Amino acid sequence: MTPTLRQFIQFQSVIGMASAMIFPFYILLLRNVGDSYAQFGWAYGLFALSSALAYPWIGRLSDRVGDQRLLLVYSWGMALVLLVLPFLTDVWQIYIVQIVMGLLGAIGRNSEKTVLARVTTTDKAGKTIGNYHTVTGVAAAVAIIATGYLVDFLTIGALFFLASLLFASSAVMIHRIKKPLS
Amino acid sequence: MKKSFVFMSTIYLALLGTAVVYYPQHVETAVIEDRAQLLPTQMKRITATTETNELQDLLNEAAKEDRVITLAGTQHSQGGQTLYPGGWLIDMKEYDEILAFDPTAQTLTVQSGATWSKIQEYIQPHGLALQVTQSQSIFTVGGTMSVHAHGRDLRYNALSESIESFRLLTADGTILDVSKDQHADYFQHVLGGYGLFGIILDVTLRLTEDELYVQQTAELDYQDYPEYFKEQVLENPEAKMHLARLSTAPDTFLKDMYVTNYLVALNQELRDDYAKLSEERIIAIPKFMLGVARYSDTGKDWFWDVQQTYSERLDGDLITRNNAMRSDSTFMDYESSSRTEVLQEYFVPIEQYVSYIDALREVLERHDINLLNITVRYVERNEDTVLNYATSDMFSLVLLIHQPLDEDSLAETDAAIEEMVATTLAHDGSYYLPYYQFPTRKQFKEAYPKWQSFQQFKEQADPEGRFQNLWYKEYFE
Ligand SMILES: Cc1cc2nc3c(=O)[nH]c(=O)nc-3n(C[C@H](O)[C@H](O)[C@H](O)COP(=O)(O)OP(=O)(O)OC[C@H]3O[C@@H](n4cnc5c(N)ncnc54)[C@H](O)[C@@H]3O)c2cc1C
Repeated sequence: MTPTLRQFIQFQSVIGMASAMIFPFYILLLRNVGDSYAQFGWAYGLFALSSALAYPWIGRLSDRVGDQRLLLVYSWGMALVLLVLPFLTDVWQIYIVQIVMGLLGAIGRNSEKTVLARVTTTDKAGKTIGNYHTVTGVAAAVAIIATGYLVDFLTIGALFFLASLLFASSAVMIHRIKKPLS
Repeated sequence: MKKSFVFMSTIYLALLGTAVVYYPQHVETAVIEDRAQLLPTQMKRITATTETNELQDLLNEAAKEDRVITLAGTQHSQGGQTLYPGGWLIDMKEYDEILAFDPTAQTLTVQSGATWSKIQEYIQPHGLALQVTQSQSIFTVGGTMSVHAHGRDLRYNALSESIESFRLLTADGTILDVSKDQHADYFQHVLGGYGLFGIILDVTLRLTEDELYVQQTAELDYQDYPEYFKEQVLENPEAKMHLARLSTAPDTFLKDMYVTNYLVALNQELRDDYAKLSEERIIAIPKFMLGVARYSDTGKDWFWDVQQTYSERLDGDLITRNNAMRSDSTFMDYESSSRTEVLQEYFVPIEQYVSYIDALREVLERHDINLLNITVRYVERNEDTVLNYATSDMFSLVLLIHQPLDEDSLAETDAAIEEMVATTLAHDGSYYLPYYQFPTRKQFKEAYPKWQSFQQFKEQADPEGRFQNLWYKEYFE
């Protein structure tokens, strides 16, 4: 089943907020755990590589099992990974998490595009996608600005857990979709 | 879909709960990096192992390569005491083995990189506790000795009294056995000596019984405090520890106080029920409140009210000596590259307290600094160390200041602190040296009149200047 455009924009806004919130702190975490730029490079390389290798497989899967399932895997997966992140202390742990996040990221990005492809009609695609990016972009921007204030009040752990909760609630949004796009 | 929803939600909530509960413990055990945000310095960091001969080799190598060495514990000092550009920083945190323990004689020998917390974990099961430490147990033994720290204890006079002996690796590579009777000159200089005379290797500490205390709290006006303290606390033999807070909230600024006394509990049999060492708690709530206080005056008033209510609620609560010496601290950690939190500590004779607070209030009202908290404790006169702050029986005031790192704000704080230090000195007081180099050289020399003999001994004990740090450079060179 595929969500309606409206549902999908809401979903993607929550995802965008959660990702924007943790991004700067995730970089900080990588920097603190690793102690050279080479390790930093490896961490990112593994992410990109696991994404790249997963795409063909995910693409086929998406047509077979449907977007809803894949979006669920993505949301729940990210929610769980974010619970683990604040506990990492060694580089090898970061490498593993980067591979997992690379896979999840590939699922997320592929599904984003397949859903958009399925819900837009070709003659209005430009407008629809423009609109989609505006709303999700604003949500992410608001989250980034708000986080700038939040860090004074929250521990880094709390910040990651909050983002995890956002991912979990995005999963709940997907669970609640019952009707296919009409 | 419904089934998988229930399944995933349940698993998720269980894991979320687990993560939230375990995170504080994780933070407590994580290795802490450099905190001296005010003085970023390029250095090579070398981690010491538990092998003493490796430290000797390292010293030889540094001599051969003509490198300066600094020593570092948990690096909570804030004025460059562990830093020197281009030098080798020896990180002592892993040099932390417990070497000997005699529960009957109540002594323990430990390598200097051990934290108080580690020692507490070791001795608590034997019903023993430390004599003198800071209010928190996160610091290393070596770092604590090198600042000659003090805490809430009222009865053991000073840290120096609880150090039976220690071994010191000096600049020329020899190892000295140091105590009050042996190499006494080293004893007087190394304690409060900021790592300038050699590497403190292992230390034999005097311990004491872990006792159960009942907490007694009271609210009072700052004018009544000295008398209250003398009569109700110092002269009460049951009172073993003490701590007070002075309001920094605008409504009651430097007037309202509340105190906490730790009195020996009548029923010591209950001790075992309370003996378990406390873990760092979930810090989200105090961190949030401190965050609010940082931002506004209303926030400060609110923070003060909450603290006071919380302290009243503690009245009558039982706590062991060990736990009174390991209060939470991580909620104060502040993550930002553009702002930080700095500490200042001033000592003033008990008799001068009231007029001193009046003068301090007047200074603070003229300056725009963001003062978050003032803690008041007692230090008894002690002449064991050369750089000595407790020249008479004194109150110590610790000020926590929120500090943006831009030049204007630093200049404002600098001006305010210079005036506060001047006020302190004018009241026969002194200031504490582990914090940032705001006080001037002149003020340093006035506060520590024996600075010259300190310097002479340094030049004699370490003629090559192998052990260095930025604090020494600032005030002596
Ligand atoms: C939040 C906070 C609360 C505090 N509370 C208190 C308090 O209640 N009472 C109090 O008295 N102080 C207090 N302090 C100050 C604290 O006691 C000192 O900063 C102390 O030095 C911290 O220990 P450390 O292990 O971090 O030492 P570091 O900062 O790592 O080192 C301090 C000095 O010790 C030297 N040194 C370290 N290890 C060795 C060694 N093995 N041999 C020789 N020299 C060595 C270093 O070269 C340096 O000069 C507090 C500080 C903070 C930040």
